[in-house]
Amino acid sequence: MTRKTRVRASTVVGHTGAILWSVLAIIPFALIILLAFKSNTDIYTDPLGLFNVKWHPQNFVDAWKGAPGGQGFAVYLLNSAIVTTVAITGCLLIGAFTAYFATLATPRVRMMVVRLFLVATTLPLIMLLIPYYTAFNALDLLGSPWALGVLYIALCLPTCVLILHSFYLGFPSELAEAAAIDGLGRIQTFVKIVLPLSKGPIVSVGMINAFFVWGETQLAIVLLQAPGSRTIPVGLLDFKGQFASNTGAIFAGLTLATIPLIIVYLVFNRTITKGVALGGVFR
Amino acid sequence: MLAPGLIILAVFFGLPIIDLVRTSFTQWPGIGEARYIGIDNYVTAFTSPAVREALFRSVALGVGAALILSAIATVLAALVSGGIRGKAFYRVVWFLPAIAPPSAVAVFWALSVQPRSGAVNAFLGAIGLGRTHAWLADPSTAMYVIIAVAVWAGVGFAFLVILGGMEEVPVSVYEAASIDGASRIRQFFSITLPLVRPVLSMIVLLEVIWAFNGFTLVWGMTLGGPGNATTILPVQVYKDAFLFANFGLAAAVSVVGGLLLLVVGLAGQALGSRKGVDE
Repeated sequence: MTRKTRVRASTVVGHTGAILWSVLAIIPFALIILLAFKSNTDIYTDPLGLFNVKWHPQNFVDAWKGAPGGQGFAVYLLNSAIVTTVAITGCLLIGAFTAYFATLATPRVRMMVVRLFLVATTLPLIMLLIPYYTAFNALDLLGSPWALGVLYIALCLPTCVLILHSFYLGFPSELAEAAAIDGLGRIQTFVKIVLPLSKGPIVSVGMINAFFVWGETQLAIVLLQAPGSRTIPVGLLDFKGQFASNTGAIFAGLTLATIPLIIVYLVFNRTITKGVALGGVFR
Repeated sequence: MLAPGLIILAVFFGLPIIDLVRTSFTQWPGIGEARYIGIDNYVTAFTSPAVREALFRSVALGVGAALILSAIATVLAALVSGGIRGKAFYRVVWFLPAIAPPSAVAVFWALSVQPRSGAVNAFLGAIGLGRTHAWLADPSTAMYVIIAVAVWAGVGFAFLVILGGMEEVPVSVYEAASIDGASRIRQFFSITLPLVRPVLSMIVLLEVIWAFNGFTLVWGMTLGGPGNATTILPVQVYKDAFLFANFGLAAAVSVVGGLLLLVVGLAGQALGSRKGVDE
């Protein structure tokens, strides 16, 4: 075998692998949309069929309204929005604040802070599940999306601090000094100068955490006990039970829960993937 | 200035752990007074076959899924950093499964492997492999399906991180190797792999931890069944506490599983993050 044909053979294998994985990554989303528009009978007789599909948009109406006696998608959407907004606003503000002032501290204090947050990232969720439940129960907060949002502030904080900390390490100290000469206090400097200059990393950290919070299920199952307080991921699992005989509606629910995220991702994919690469070592 | 962050850390991570340990020494049905019973829960946890099997399954899921998905992600990252055409497209597409909420992933795949209505079985039927196997209802295949789905969902994230590591390797190193006549494959094993080892060990460790904790996939696909065939540790804890109202035992099981994972995690961080933190 000559050198040239050997190179070509490995390129062919490489391209085949790349295309194969792309198909595996895309097909499920295409299927979700296709099956969301099929009637139950069609799903059972010919789930993969692309032709002779009788379009059945009623599935989306069913999913949006929810099964009789259950909650509709509108309720889940509102709860997810509350949880995510509270969590991301809080964790970005406190996270940026902590990360910035950690870089101004002495090296020993800085390392201690970083280590503490690193330990927090490895802490498995099952160790927090029962204590959180106990606390929420005692404070009568079971079923409050607002309270769950506050909890997610804490859960997102370590990632947030670690990623922004490595960004602020390279931040020019002249800026803070110039601000001090202009008579700005340390907190004023942070709010007026540091925050606006770190918009890029803050957006990518916010995105990564927003996707985590939007999809988190285990805590939400335990802490959002009232059906009307459930977020989309928990609602989706309820859906599976409620719509046991209406598979089309479940696929419509999956479409409503997933496709908007995919669209957001396609618009912001540079920011998100950059944030992942930035935070990969820490997460 | 560091107070707010550190207070949150203490209140939401420190206090809960203390509370968990306290609960693990009691018998508590979830309401009323907890009764102190010493180490009974730990004795039960260590002697119970159910707990031992759940622990074993968690390790199998953690290690199995993490190794398989990291291997696939490394190969994909090597393809893209090796200058394959369509790099921008692959970067976007391969991350898609990581964007879908885990419970949506679970519900979708659970429906897709159903015997009559599932797309996977319809596809297998179309290529002549039969379409009647109930993958999730068969205790001997359910866990493999879950591992496969965890791999599908996890490759995208690992791929991006490993790719980030590979792109930091200076091009000149490869050029020098090419001049010396080293083949692409040879370069991958002698240059790329050794140089991205820190990133690689970190991502394998993280994936082990995440898969070990993979409650959502299992709960969404099988609820831990059939029987107990897919009951991993987090599912066991959830069942013990919230279905069987035995919070003390669930707390003890979480302490044991958590400690195990924490030891693995800290050891891995000491090995893997030296580059990231102590620079």
